[in-house]
Amino acid sequence: MAVADAFDEQCDYLFKAVLIGDSGVGKSNLISRFAIDEFRFDSKPTIGVEFAYRNIKVRDKLIKAQIWDTAGQERFRAITSSYYRGALGAMLVYDITKRATFVNVSKWLHELREFGGEDMVVVLVGNKSDLGPSREVETEEGKGFAETEGLCFMETSALQNMNVDEAFLEMITKIHDIISQKSLETKMNGTALSVPGGKEIHIADEVTATKQVNCCS
Amino acid sequence: MKNDHNKNAEHNKDTTIGILDSRFNQTLRNVQGLLKGRSIPGKILLSPRVDPLDNSNLSSPTYIRSSPYSDPGTSDRTSETVEEEVHSTSKPFGIPNENKLKISTSHVERPSEEVQKSSMGARATDSARVMKFTKVLSGTMVVIEKLRELAWSGVPDYMRPTVWRLLLGYAPPNSDRREGVLRRKRLEYLDCVSQYYDIPDTERSDDEINMLRQIVVDCPRTVPDVSFFQQQQVQKSLERILYTWAIRHPASGYVQGINDLVTPFLVVFLSEHLEGSIDNWSMSDLSSDKISNVEADCYWCLSKLLDGMQDHYTFAQPGIQRLVFKLKELVSRIDDPVSSHMEQQGLEFLQFAFRWFNCLLIREIPFHLVARLWDTYLAEGDALPDFLVYIFTSFLLTWSDKLQKLDFQELVMFLQHLPTKNWTHQELEMVLSRAFMWHSMFNNCPSHLAN
Repeated sequence: MAVADAFDEQCDYLFKAVLIGDSGVGKSNLISRFAIDEFRFDSKPTIGVEFAYRNIKVRDKLIKAQIWDTAGQERFRAITSSYYRGALGAMLVYDITKRATFVNVSKWLHELREFGGEDMVVVLVGNKSDLGPSREVETEEGKGFAETEGLCFMETSALQNMNVDEAFLEMITKIHDIISQKSLETKMNGTALSVPGGKEIHIADEVTATKQVNCCS
Repeated sequence: MKNDHNKNAEHNKDTTIGILDSRFNQTLRNVQGLLKGRSIPGKILLSPRVDPLDNSNLSSPTYIRSSPYSDPGTSDRTSETVEEEVHSTSKPFGIPNENKLKISTSHVERPSEEVQKSSMGARATDSARVMKFTKVLSGTMVVIEKLRELAWSGVPDYMRPTVWRLLLGYAPPNSDRREGVLRRKRLEYLDCVSQYYDIPDTERSDDEINMLRQIVVDCPRTVPDVSFFQQQQVQKSLERILYTWAIRHPASGYVQGINDLVTPFLVVFLSEHLEGSIDNWSMSDLSSDKISNVEADCYWCLSKLLDGMQDHYTFAQPGIQRLVFKLKELVSRIDDPVSSHMEQQGLEFLQFAFRWFNCLLIREIPFHLVARLWDTYLAEGDALPDFLVYIFTSFLLTWSDKLQKLDFQELVMFLQHLPTKNWTHQELEMVLSRAFMWHSMFNNCPSHLAN
């Protein structure tokens, strides 16, 4: 289309990611802070799924990050879980001032693992770090949980713009590294194709996976 | 050769689409001219005359229209008789014609004359409309069908509470019984609140506690851009209404977005007790009796509204999924270029229209227009879910040209934040009249334009 900007022509990768977690933990404000540097006190509950994106440069590569912001309420799960499938990354958010939202993190994780891909990069985010006095979940607790589950971890404040970019960048960089690693493997295996073995099917899978994420091929 | 052949086929297809488009747009202009500055009766029949696809007819598609308004004596809505013809050519109207005798001349002006007269005409129609409402409402037995026809085109503000209660079947049409029924229903609501809401958490199940928690999280986030809704007492009222409703409707329970649906009722029923602009309203000016009556009316009206859409909010929300599918189908029949473009870009209707159905468009238009939109919703009654598809098609195609210029990301962003902030009644009326026209064309004639 004529309106497509120059970035579209040049971008190396298109990454899709999802934002999940209980209702009211601040998912929509995290994404609007990241995508358009905006915070709204008067944000409304997300219905179904909403969308935002940002173009960024990671390790010399131009990346378009498409992020699907999902509704927190259980009733929308049938709609929202279908977005897990194509996602390479997920940001799992809880509210450090509401213990219940942290308790539910394992439920969300279970769902991600059920519907999402194997290599999905998951960042656990404890949001609203500006509300220190009302804290119900200690930083160490979040960190500990993330370590046990093999997740990245960060505490953020969408309101004060603390760690928001960092959290998203961490996720995107990790995705990028996994993708590059994969395409490297594919290339290497490609030259070694003369060696017969059951691995070939695996190779084919990876080739497709890499192509899917490259928006400009 | 093969290429040439394909090109020709392509060309022919384009021409056909072009013809259909121009016919369609012409029709649209005619109907818009016709409807401009006046009310749209609820059940006009508007169906295409079967014309051969012939260039000579392009400039003057002819439509058949029957209006119960101008002809209150008959209720032959399904009648096929030609009652009015609308031409874009200079053929003067008012020429004696048996078919047109039933129509008052004000309904058959040409668009050009229409523009000049519309402002005066609109005022005249307004006072005439108020009289019609008064007449329908003043009888001992309100004829609901008549009220629907009138209400479809908008209800005068001060009559809205009464009209909505009647349309939803909350207040009985029989005026002798009305007060008694309302009194009983309001008491019943109070009972429900004390039975379900005013109890300690220890008497609630885990699910109920979760549901209440969700409602408490959402009430402060309900229409946050209208300051009135930030008042503590307003949020408490919302909480009571929503929780009581949710407990009594266990198949769906509370679903986010239902909080939005209470707000038109709240504002309309409060308008009976609070004067002036909503920006200056204060809940503390009201006695607790009045507040609880308003809450009760909201509760019962919400219940009535959602009775017809139960599967919109049950597991996986099949009702909404079905309507989103229908929306996609209708858009592709009416505006193939937009529909193909959206498909090419990989945009799914569910990605933007889900919220439209879940919140009945409240999120997409300025709040001060919502009550007018709901006049039409409530006038549709049981037919509302299907008619929503037409309204939303019309709403979407407001930006038909614009949409075709956007890529996937721009499309999603645009559709999530539609530029309706400065909309007035005029834009909304346009959406509704187009919806009405398309409904009349497609509903009774499913294969029309579907070649």
